Amino acid sequence: MANENVLEIKNITVDFDGFCALLRVNVNVKRHTIHFFIGPNGAGKTTLLDIICAKTKPTDGECMFYPEGRAPVKLTGMKEYKIVEQGIGRKFQVPSVFVNLTVMENMILSLKGNKGVWQSIFYKLSPEEEAYINEVLETIELLDKKDEKAGALAHGQKQWLEIGMQLVQKPEIIMLDEPAAGMGKPETFKSGEILKKIKETCTIIVVEHDMDFVKQISDCVTVLHEGKVLMEGTCDEVLADETVQAVYLGRGGERNAED
Amino acid sequence: MRLKNKGYHICFAVIVAILALMPLLLSAGVITSSSFVLFLGKCIAFSIVAIGLDLIWGYTGILSLGHGLYFALGGYAMAMFLKLQATGGKITSFMQTGGMTELPVIWRPFLYAPLAMILVVAVPGILAGVIGFFIFRNRIKGVYFSIISQALTWAAYSLFTGLQSYTGGNVGITEITSLLGSIKGDSNRGKMFLLFYICLAVLVLIYILSGFLTQKKFGKLLIAIRDGENRTYFSGYCVSRYKNFIYVLSAVFAGIAGAIFVNFNGSITPAQMTISYSITMVIWVAVGGRGTLVGAVLGAFLINICDYNFSSGTMVEIWQYILGAIFVLTILFFKGGLVGIVRDQLPEWKKKLTRREVEQHGK
Repeated sequence: MANENVLEIKNITVDFDGFCALLRVNVNVKRHTIHFFIGPNGAGKTTLLDIICAKTKPTDGECMFYPEGRAPVKLTGMKEYKIVEQGIGRKFQVPSVFVNLTVMENMILSLKGNKGVWQSIFYKLSPEEEAYINEVLETIELLDKKDEKAGALAHGQKQWLEIGMQLVQKPEIIMLDEPAAGMGKPETFKSGEILKKIKETCTIIVVEHDMDFVKQISDCVTVLHEGKVLMEGTCDEVLADETVQAVYLGRGGERNAED
Repeated sequence: MRLKNKGYHICFAVIVAILALMPLLLSAGVITSSSFVLFLGKCIAFSIVAIGLDLIWGYTGILSLGHGLYFALGGYAMAMFLKLQATGGKITSFMQTGGMTELPVIWRPFLYAPLAMILVVAVPGILAGVIGFFIFRNRIKGVYFSIISQALTWAAYSLFTGLQSYTGGNVGITEITSLLGSIKGDSNRGKMFLLFYICLAVLVLIYILSGFLTQKKFGKLLIAIRDGENRTYFSGYCVSRYKNFIYVLSAVFAGIAGAIFVNFNGSITPAQMTISYSITMVIWVAVGGRGTLVGAVLGAFLINICDYNFSSGTMVEIWQYILGAIFVLTILFFKGGLVGIVRDQLPEWKKKLTRREVEQHGK
């Protein structure tokens, strides 16, 4: 059965000097699905992403990554850029593109490949790579902006650019922290459609508050509450659960407060 | 983007052309003082260290307040070689005063010209490599890095002034000639001009090398590290390795600059290793314009030319205040420095002016 999972989070505990951000969290993420983590503020969603990509070290437990056609990799204890090499990309909550570089340059820096110092000095973009970047730019609808500085893009476009930057790394897992934050309804919907397209080639883990967005694209939803897994299931199952309603969905004002 | 770079290169070419004319003007008698050309030679050294600082600060966002250390190390390496040339390989007077009877081991490599020239770049480079390795691997950045760079410079300064019998202490290493022999006086003018043009060529080479690096993907990565270090890590780059590489390169540039400086200055003292000297270098880059290379060169020349003219005579007492004020104004209002004024502010003002004119005509 292990083959079906692309990522196994085993017994993860994170203790920030007495504050328990995560407590014995176990989650399995299945290949080629869109897996959501939802929960109220402070539930530990972002911390969980930090654990997977090694931005934060867990107090206990480990993360196992099962790449397709390769031996399993233990992510816990690896350096973050090594994890990227393994094929796990991360998009941050605040859009973090390189504002002083053009859209094209942003994409070139993110391309999969050797990332050593000498390689960067003598690097030349091959026609295949350029074609591939153009293809991805088309998917995220930024092809006509490719020579513009990333800092000049609209908020939503920056979010898409950052998703595009993850894509050209050809990852097996993409982690997105609130990709729809600050987006309007039509933009959010479009993001969803983009993610559905991407799902064919990789697994997507999303942290999000926008329940419409969750309904639109989720395959599996894990609800976190106070550092623990409250429930896991499909979107409909989660929405129907009374405890989930009580701790999270009942507080209708929260989404607005986030914005 | 490409057009802008062309503008920078043209600006640099103009500076080089003006410099190249100077010895000719001196021969023709337009300039009367040959010490001005010697001074411009020192400015060449300053602009080389400024290019190095621009690479790590302007491009990569690492503010080093201790580049005087690498500048002085290169300078001392060159001065030790030249001193032994002057004494014929015998021990120096400050060593005798220190009670030594034979040449200390650390001086021995400087008996051989090729080895000494290698050490001019190797000593600053290796030291920067070791320091950088620990600092960057431990993800020390921002103001913490700046403080450490200052502390190291201070430590080195204390060491060099303390070890009087090895380094000449506060006096430093004096009474040396250039690599080409004495360049002072009218009879040695030919040698001085040759040295001047050689150093100018070194500046051009270093500019071209830096321009090449910043044009490539490598240069874009430096900017990426400056604007979003975390993002760069999560794009799969070992940021610390990149930082260390560019830090070593800028230390090597500083070492070369120090060596050139000694040739024109005829001495090296621990004053070149002080913190205030290091901070002055940062001011050159800031005033000229960060992140453009040519800005660093421009800043180094302009500030030093002002310094040359004002640090004697009536301006001497207020010049330091003026310099400080210029620095503060630059940081507060003109982040791009002089280059930034021409590139960003001037077009903006022009636009405002034409808009106002159009409005007036409309009325």
